[in-house]
Amino acid sequence: MAEEEINIPSLVIVLLVTGLAVRYFFFSGNASSANRQPGGTGGATPEELQRRREREREAAVETIQQMFPQVDRRTILWDLQRHGGNLQATTERILAGRTETPPITFQPPPPPSSPETTAAAQQSAAAAAASKYAEKKVHPDLITRYNLRDKLASAPSEDAGTAAAGAPKTGGWSSNREERQSLLRKRRDQMIIEARRKMEAKIAAEKTAAAAASGSAAAGDN
Amino acid sequence: MSLNVAQRRLLQEYRALTNNPPEGITAGPISEDDLLHWECLIQGPEGTPFEGGVFPAELKFPNDYPHMPPTMKFLGDIFHPNVYPSGLVCISILHPPGDDPNHYETASERWSPIQSVEKILLSVMSMLAEPNDESPANVEAAKMWREKRSEYEARVKASVRASLGL
Repeated sequence: MAEEEINIPSLVIVLLVTGLAVRYFFFSGNASSANRQPGGTGGATPEELQRRREREREAAVETIQQMFPQVDRRTILWDLQRHGGNLQATTERILAGRTETPPITFQPPPPPSSPETTAAAQQSAAAAAASKYAEKKVHPDLITRYNLRDKLASAPSEDAGTAAAGAPKTGGWSSNREERQSLLRKRRDQMIIEARRKMEAKIAAEKTAAAAASGSAAAGDN
Repeated sequence: MSLNVAQRRLLQEYRALTNNPPEGITAGPISEDDLLHWECLIQGPEGTPFEGGVFPAELKFPNDYPHMPPTMKFLGDIFHPNVYPSGLVCISILHPPGDDPNHYETASERWSPIQSVEKILLSVMSMLAEPNDESPANVEAAKMWREKRSEYEARVKASVRASLGL
């Protein structure tokens, strides 16, 4: 009981703080989109101005980060903020190594989460999930899975020869670990290739049978 | 390198399976660095729609093998009443030892340390030939197998061909 008495107020506080944080982080985005919908007021609202400034700032940060990937976002934002957002001046200061380390109290705004990017992120996540699902659902065939295309392409007679040569060897247990491993792989590959050859022959036989049947049927029609 | 009980036992089984491989079965650890993770190939039994196919599956052994059974999962598409759509195989020999809480299986059908990888693989092979209708893992497959057998067989045959890249 005592635990619950402590937990409920603290839970309320946690929820309150989370709510405020979410409101703080997403307020501008929500407000502007809410304002835009009734829209058509002509002039730019303060929210829109702020959004534009944010976009410009993010673009500047991105440009600098592309040039200097080693400089972290916080330093760039600090420098931009201190020198009026002049991209060129900041670039020069980074080049000269004259950037200052931002004070601990400096809290840079979080990376943008504009509706476009979140939509894109959601879309890509959905695509990833879909591809994952597809991967799970559609398995590659055995030839692809075990990389047997080359072996399959080699002449069947040659293959039979190696199979015959390998047959007495594959039965045994080698004391060498690598050899064991490669023998196991060989047996596995052979099993798949044999199955594939048999199936090919079967399909070919079926086809000729079908062709013969349809041929005679066509002949009958004529 | 000192091996624990599970690893020693698995190495021994691997050796037996290499020296006397059962017809239509190839099995062994993917890498001997991890003896608890095997991959095996099972040939489709003749006279069944799985005939001509080769089915890869992975076996994962617990650290307390052989006291507890491994899990087995087919790595390709298998449309079978006793194989979950994820590939996981559901047969009595893979169930932990002891009596079945639902009283479907007797203790002798379930896993016990006297069973082996070879017995599992042979059981799975016969499962492919004769599905157990009582506890379906894939309800769709079970229903089709029961009610529209020719459709089921055609579907299995097509997937066998596809799995061989044909």
